[in-house]
Amino acid sequence: MRYYFFHLMPWPYLPADFDTVYDSAWIWLPNSLYDPVRGQELYQEYINTLAYADELGFDGICVNEHHQNAYGLMPSPNVIAGALTQRTKKAKIAVIGNALPLYNPPLRVAEEFAMLDVLSGGRLIAGMVIGGGPEYFTYQVNPTHAREKFREALDLILKAWTEPGPFLWNSKHYHFRYVNPWPRPLQKPHPPIWIPGVGSLETIEFVAQRRYAYMGIPYFHIDVFRRVFAQFREACEKAGYTARPEQMGWGVPIYVAETDRQAREEFEPQLWYFVKNLLKGIGISPPGYTSARSALAIIKNHKYFLYTQKTWDDIEKGVYAIVGSPETVRQKLEQYQKELGIGVVLTGCQTGALPHELARKSMELLAREVLPKTRGIKQQEAAAVR
Amino acid sequence: MLKLFKKLKYGARVFLSKGGGQEETIDVHGRSTVLLHGGEGTPFIYLHSTLGESFRWLPFLQTWSKSFRVLAPMHPGFGKSGGFDQIDTIEDMAFHYVEMFDALGFEEVILGGVSLGGWIAAEFAVRWPERVKKLWIADAPGLWVENTPLGDLFRIMQDREKLRELLFHDPKGHMAGLVLEDNPDEEKMLMGYQSLTVLARLVWERPYDPKLANRLRRIACPTLLLWGANDRLVPPAYGEAYKKHIPGAELKLIGSCGHLPMFERETEFVEAVTKFCQD
Repeated sequence: MRYYFFHLMPWPYLPADFDTVYDSAWIWLPNSLYDPVRGQELYQEYINTLAYADELGFDGICVNEHHQNAYGLMPSPNVIAGALTQRTKKAKIAVIGNALPLYNPPLRVAEEFAMLDVLSGGRLIAGMVIGGGPEYFTYQVNPTHAREKFREALDLILKAWTEPGPFLWNSKHYHFRYVNPWPRPLQKPHPPIWIPGVGSLETIEFVAQRRYAYMGIPYFHIDVFRRVFAQFREACEKAGYTARPEQMGWGVPIYVAETDRQAREEFEPQLWYFVKNLLKGIGISPPGYTSARSALAIIKNHKYFLYTQKTWDDIEKGVYAIVGSPETVRQKLEQYQKELGIGVVLTGCQTGALPHELARKSMELLAREVLPKTRGIKQQEAAAVR
Repeated sequence: MLKLFKKLKYGARVFLSKGGGQEETIDVHGRSTVLLHGGEGTPFIYLHSTLGESFRWLPFLQTWSKSFRVLAPMHPGFGKSGGFDQIDTIEDMAFHYVEMFDALGFEEVILGGVSLGGWIAAEFAVRWPERVKKLWIADAPGLWVENTPLGDLFRIMQDREKLRELLFHDPKGHMAGLVLEDNPDEEKMLMGYQSLTVLARLVWERPYDPKLANRLRRIACPTLLLWGANDRLVPPAYGEAYKKHIPGAELKLIGSCGHLPMFERETEFVEAVTKFCQD
């Protein structure tokens, strides 16, 4: 079992009346609410936290891309990943991911990821995403072309990494006379490809067919993950092979403190800050971004999304987060790892305005008291449970 | 109570109009196109808005069909019409219609439409001016007027109340409630999403055609511009802009009317179009 430490780099200083005054933490949330002086301090602390995860022995650290929002302050995760290549030694650096249709030309991703792979000595995990609904408002990229552009750009990047350049590329949305990126990635044939997903069958089948890794984005009810990983295994069988546990990642916030009660007391207010403020507006979906049927399914599944949860009981029952003493967290991790048959856990604790010292304390308890016991869960054992 | 009565009355008119329009599906170079038609005389083509209202034979089509041979096609990608994969830009819509008119053997037509439909009519008329006998355009985007941005439909599309406020002069009126119901069923939601998907493909990056303004001078037929005086999505300044660029065009504002005159001010709207097209 591998554990990746995930950071959104949220903005923790939203005004107390945010929820009543603003309809969204995305796209049009006035950027006067961002303070660059506090921002500098925050970036420094967040980068320190990620570097600390490397010291504590997490298998990897994760950053991701979002634009014009208070939820995650990495419009360019590659910039942060670049800094991390110089601050970390062992951990994989997972950029999950770059939103391919937003890059014009998408060769920029081939170049920057190759730079990161070389800079980190082959530690990059290359996450490729379509990008969330809000990004299509922000970058004004046509949502009705999102999926086509994503597939074309992905194929272009992979070809750029694996076939000698220069070569000519022509597809519906992209045309390049000379594809020939310098540098090339260090890992052969190319850095591992991770595709984060929110549960659409279309994405699950695509990732299975390509033999990439599917990373289940957090903030959904445990039943959603049960379905997703069952469907993923089935899709792999259909594609003629058995899914490897490391192809399946479960995103879930984890917070550990000395006792169950203390953990809840420290973490719960931060979770609600995240739910009420930062998740507000994340679900806006431009027309054509999904098929009409998928759009309807998303609306119907709202009740399985963290944003619509109201009580701590909802959080616990739906396993939207794992919160408790080291022993409680260990038990739950063991139970769900076995049940889901996954080989990767992506976890973060910085969901809101969690004080930095509490974030560090939780990471330490997780790394020192929980993970040594849960790491040993054999993947065969996990696989057998399904 | 009165509002309910008015709604029922409109429903009855829709029901009574129903027998007037016949549905047909024609193939336009691989684009399966559904259209309703009724009446006799000069071909009169009604190009619908993003609401996709031509999926049924509505009372205003029935009224026109007493004077003209009315055809109300569904644009590619709308309702049961196919061919969305062949549509990338507004120009593709114009080419779709010239090929449709060829297929139907129409040399010359009366052409008009509301909102998106009006824009398509303008794009058609600048390319094939000789094939348009009369042109009318209502509440259409297509141009850009500095300091007068279009309403942001995509921001509020999931909020029925805000949608009614954007599209109607009187968002509490019976027609606003009828056209934009509070709890649409699954089929209507799917249709709405599909319609907005077509619109998004055409306008997402840029909600107008930068080439259009300088091409409008090519329009050679009499042109009527009809605008809801209270249109908040495509403000009347856009009507002024069309007037400025189309030789001899007449602009008529409809009072107490938002973006959808065929619903909010049906009588004035239908009469204005009929009178203009008959003259």
